[in-house]
Amino acid sequence: MNALSLLLENLSRGALTLRFPARPPAPPAYRGLVKFDPERCQGCGMCAFVCTSGSIVYRPRPKVYEWAYEPGACTFCGRCVEACVSHAISMEPTRPPVYTQAGALRTAYQVPRKPPPGAAPPPPAPSAPGGTP
Amino acid sequence: MTFSTALWRLLAFPGILYAVPAAWVFLWLERKAVARMQQRVGPPFLQAFLDFVKLLGKEAPPRPGLEGKLMKAWPALAVAAGVGACGLLPVLPGHGGFAGDLVLLLALLELPSVFLIAAGFSSRSLYGQLGSAREAVLSLSYGVLFLVAVLAIAAAQHTFRLEELAAPSGSPLRWLGVLAIVLCLPAKLHVTPFSVPNAEQEIYAGALTEYAGPELALWELAHGLEWVAMTGLVASLVAPRIGPAWLAALAFAALSLLVVLLLSVLAAATARVTIDRAARFYWRTALAMAVLCGAASLLPGFQP
Repeated sequence: MNALSLLLENLSRGALTLRFPARPPAPPAYRGLVKFDPERCQGCGMCAFVCTSGSIVYRPRPKVYEWAYEPGACTFCGRCVEACVSHAISMEPTRPPVYTQAGALRTAYQVPRKPPPGAAPPPPAPSAPGGTP
Repeated sequence: MTFSTALWRLLAFPGILYAVPAAWVFLWLERKAVARMQQRVGPPFLQAFLDFVKLLGKEAPPRPGLEGKLMKAWPALAVAAGVGACGLLPVLPGHGGFAGDLVLLLALLELPSVFLIAAGFSSRSLYGQLGSAREAVLSLSYGVLFLVAVLAIAAAQHTFRLEELAAPSGSPLRWLGVLAIVLCLPAKLHVTPFSVPNAEQEIYAGALTEYAGPELALWELAHGLEWVAMTGLVASLVAPRIGPAWLAALAFAALSLLVVLLLSVLAAATARVTIDRAARFYWRTALAMAVLCGAASLLPGFQP
């Protein structure tokens, strides 16, 4: 009888299914998308090393390195945040938007290498490139 | 029954013209009702029909030799048996029939299950064979109860003619027999808690695991026709014999829908039981009731 009253209750409440584009709120423990701050990044590449799903790609080059993130492959495990000693990576608990093409949410940064701490500042360049998403 | 009456019953009502659309409606209603009781939206009205059309348009993997021919034959035979069973249902009063048509109806109702068992073994899939074995065990369990229940009603009314069987009777045994038949429905139609032969998420699709394309579409249709035939049998046994044919047909369809809803409630309220528990339920609990019904039908005090 308990099951029947539960069924009646369910019937009276109506369907819980949300119609697109409505989405349920993120659960409290949801870590969310990886956020990257190129200003803080030291270019060590540890985030890409610990990323088991391969959603973070780090391509080292002498002067400018590439840092790319593919949310479609991310499992939101948070290991990149733990490995980042310069706190350049954080996670924001927002759900990724709906996308229809593979790689539509991918972001890539070309980040100029910073001098090691204590080293003499480099001569001013005529046009210093900043991080561009 | 004349040839034209038999043809009308087979092709129009309650045969193909009624049974095929009703099969899709019943399949949809069951899924929709269970979904609403689980707070889901459920499929749209035409989903079962659209699934059928979609599967018809798909290409089944080629299967050479006898195995392929058998795999194509079983669903077609199951559909034919389902349509035949629907056509025999005594829906409209004074619409014919022949002596012993009850025996034919019982055979036609059993055949889809036999074809399903054969299909699973023909496919030579591990899951198909497992599903077939479960269907065979379950079929043996509820089959005896089903036969005893129907025969008890027949014995109480001294007839094997469906027309006379469906006629109103004052015997309380009729209701006991109908209750025993209703108990068989979940197992015969693979509804939870007796959905072990095609247990989803457990053995894929059971006997139909290897099926695809038009053959799978025919199996879905055969399953829908089983719904129409079995719910129709209950409906024709409990429906009052109303004079106008259209009113009798309407009452028949409404009662069939009511039985579908009843089974949906059962499916939503219960969880799947294991095959040994299902067999035990039918052999111990339900069969006792049917045997009681059958034995009581022989007592003079219960004769109508």
